[in-house]
Amino acid sequence: MSNGGPTAFERFINGILPENPVYRQVLGTCPTLAVTNGMRSGMTMAAAVLFVMICSNIIVSLIRGLLRPHLRILVFTLTIATFVTVADRVLAAYMYDMSRQLGPYIPLIIVNCIIICRCEVCASKQGVWRSAWDAIGQGLGFALALASICTVREVLGNGTWFDIPLGWHNADQYKWIVMILPPGAFITLGVLMGLVNWFGESRARKQARAAQAQLEPVEAR
Amino acid sequence: MDYLINILLLAVGTALINNFILHYFVGICPFIGVSRRVDMAFGMGAAVTFVMTVAVLLSWLLTGYILQPGAPLSTWLWRTFGGDASVTVDLTILNYIVYIFVIAFAVQLVEMYVRKFFPPLYKAFGVFLPLITTNCAILFACLEIMKHVGGAQYWDIGTSLVYAVAGGAGFTLAIVIMAGIREELDHADVPKPLHGPGITLIIAGILALAFMGFTGVDKNLRAKLVKDDSGAPAAKSPQKAQKPAAPAIMEQ
Amino acid sequence: MTDQTTNTKKPAKLSYLGQGWLVLVLAGGFGGLLAYVESNLKPKIEQNKADFTLTAIPELVPGATKGKPFVRNGLTVFEALDDQDKLLGWVISTAGDGFADRIELLIGLDVPATTVTGIKVLSQKETPGLGAKIEKPDTFSKQFIGKSATSPIGVAKGKPAGNQVQAITGATVSSEAVASIMNKAMAAFRADLPAEARQ
Repeated sequence: MSNGGPTAFERFINGILPENPVYRQVLGTCPTLAVTNGMRSGMTMAAAVLFVMICSNIIVSLIRGLLRPHLRILVFTLTIATFVTVADRVLAAYMYDMSRQLGPYIPLIIVNCIIICRCEVCASKQGVWRSAWDAIGQGLGFALALASICTVREVLGNGTWFDIPLGWHNADQYKWIVMILPPGAFITLGVLMGLVNWFGESRARKQARAAQAQLEPVEAR
Repeated sequence: MDYLINILLLAVGTALINNFILHYFVGICPFIGVSRRVDMAFGMGAAVTFVMTVAVLLSWLLTGYILQPGAPLSTWLWRTFGGDASVTVDLTILNYIVYIFVIAFAVQLVEMYVRKFFPPLYKAFGVFLPLITTNCAILFACLEIMKHVGGAQYWDIGTSLVYAVAGGAGFTLAIVIMAGIREELDHADVPKPLHGPGITLIIAGILALAFMGFTGVDKNLRAKLVKDDSGAPAAKSPQKAQKPAAPAIMEQ
Repeated sequence: MTDQTTNTKKPAKLSYLGQGWLVLVLAGGFGGLLAYVESNLKPKIEQNKADFTLTAIPELVPGATKGKPFVRNGLTVFEALDDQDKLLGWVISTAGDGFADRIELLIGLDVPATTVTGIKVLSQKETPGLGAKIEKPDTFSKQFIGKSATSPIGVAKGKPAGNQVQAITGATVSSEAVASIMNKAMAAFRADLPAEARQ
C-alpha cells in the first residue's frame, strides 16, 4: 500500500510551494486571515497547525488498513479534535497571553480544511513515514504563507516585525492602520495570491518558450 | 423591555458590526466557493442559518447541563455512581469534540427532516448541507455559546438562539452581496492572475471596509432606545460628567 | 474480507459493533490522552488565569505585592496587600462596553477609596492605532492617577480641568467609555464600602 504514489521527499517539497495550501489550494483561509495581524500570533498558529497535522497524519496512517469508507470522516474528525484540544491546553498552560489573543481560532483548527484534506488525500493511502513528511511539508507551506501575509500586514500596519520596532513605529502618520484591521487581511491575501499566480504563470510561459526553443533547431535541421 | 432591547442590539451587533465573515473571518470557504450566483449564495446562507440555529440550541443545552464545571446532569451522574461528592465535575476538555459532533449530528438531522417534510426547500439548499459540517462559522457560534454559558456575560437560551439567527443572517447578507457583485464582475476585465479567489478577496476587503462603518451603531441605538443611558457611553456623556465634577473641585 | 462476510451473517447489533470497534477503541485511547493532558496542565492553567490579574496589582497600588480577591456588590475586588499583609488599597476588576467590544479594566484605589492610584486595561478590541491607545500607560491611563474617586471623572477634548482627563485624539468614544466604566464601578464599590475603608 505504501508503494506507489509520491515519495516522502516529493510530498515534502509539494507542500511548500507547488501545492501550497493557502496560495494554490485556497484551503484554511479562516486562520490565514484572522491571525495574521502580527508575526507572533501567525507563527504560533502555524506551529499549532503543524503539530495537529503531524499527529493526525501519523495516527490516520497507522490505522489506514482498518478504516471503513463510511466511518472514515468520523475517525479523521475525532483524531483532529483530540489533538486540537491538546494543543489548546498546552498553549493555555505555557503561552497564556498568546492563547488569550488567538481565542477561538485555535479550536477552529478542527474545521481547518487543510488537515482533513491531507488525511483524506495522503495519510489514508500512504505509509507513516511519507504521511509525516507530507504533514511537515504542508505545515511549513502554511507557515510560509502565513509569514508572508503577516510580514506585509505587520510592517505596513504597525511598523514592527515580530514586535521588533522598525524605526517608524512611533510615528502614527506612517502607519497604515487599515492593514491590521479586517479589510487589510482580505486585500493583502488577494493581492499576494494574484502575485503568486502571476509569477507561476510567467515561469510556466518561460519554460514553454525554452522547450520550444529546444525543439526549433531540431526542426530546422 | 430591557431584555428585548438587549436582544435587538445583540442581533444588530452580530449581523452588521461583528459580521461573521467580514469581521471574524469565519466561513470564508463557502464565501469564496459558493458566491458565483445569487440564488446559490442565498441557498447556502439559508442552510447555514438553519444548521447554526440547531447546533447552537444543542450546544447550549449540552454545555449548560453536562459540560461546564459543576453542571447539574454530569454531577448527578457522578454522585449516583458513587463518585466523591466533594469533587466538582468538569468536562470542559471535551467541549471541542462534543461541538464538532453536535454539528455533524445537526447537519444530518436537518438534512433528513427537510428532505422528508419540505421537499422544495431540500431542492433549494439540500446540496449544500453536507458541506456545512466543516464550516467554521457554525463551530465559531458554538464556541461563543461556550464562552457565554459559563462566563461573565451570561446568555440564556433565547439570547443564544437570537445570536445564532442573527449570525446566520449576517452570513447570508455578506455572501449574497458578494454573489451580486461577482455576477456583475463576469462582464469586467479582471487581470488574469486575479481570476477567482484573488479578486473575490480584494472585493471582500472593500466590503469589510464598508461594514466597518457600522461600528458603534448599536451604542447610538441603545442611547436612543434607553432614556437613562446607564449602559453605554452615549454621545452626551462628557457634559453630564462635567457638571458633577465641578463641586468636587470646590471640595478640594 | 472474512470479517465482513461473518458480520453480515450476525445480527444487526453485532455488525454495528464489528464496524464501529475502531471508533470505540480510538475514542477510549483519545479519552485517556485527554485525561492525562488535563490532569497535568489544569493546575498550571488555573494558576495562569489567577496570575493574569494578580500580577498587575503591584503596578496599580504602590507598595502592594499581592492581592486577595473577594466579591462585593457584584464586583470582583482585590485587597492589595504588602508583604506584611498590611492593607494598602483596593483593586476593582470590572468591564463594560467600549466603541467596538467589551473593555476589561482593573482600577486601583487607596484605602479610603477616595483617590485613583492607577488603572490597567486588561483586554480591549478598540480600533488599533486609535481607540487601542487606551492601553498605553504613557499617554492615557497615567492621567487617571491621583484623580478623585468620590465624583465622576470626566473626559475633555482640549485641556483637562479639575477631575478630568484628556481624551485620545480621534478616539473620544473609547476614552469616554473607559471613564464611564470606571465611574460606574467606583460608584458601586463606594456605595457599600468594606469596614476597613470607612475608617
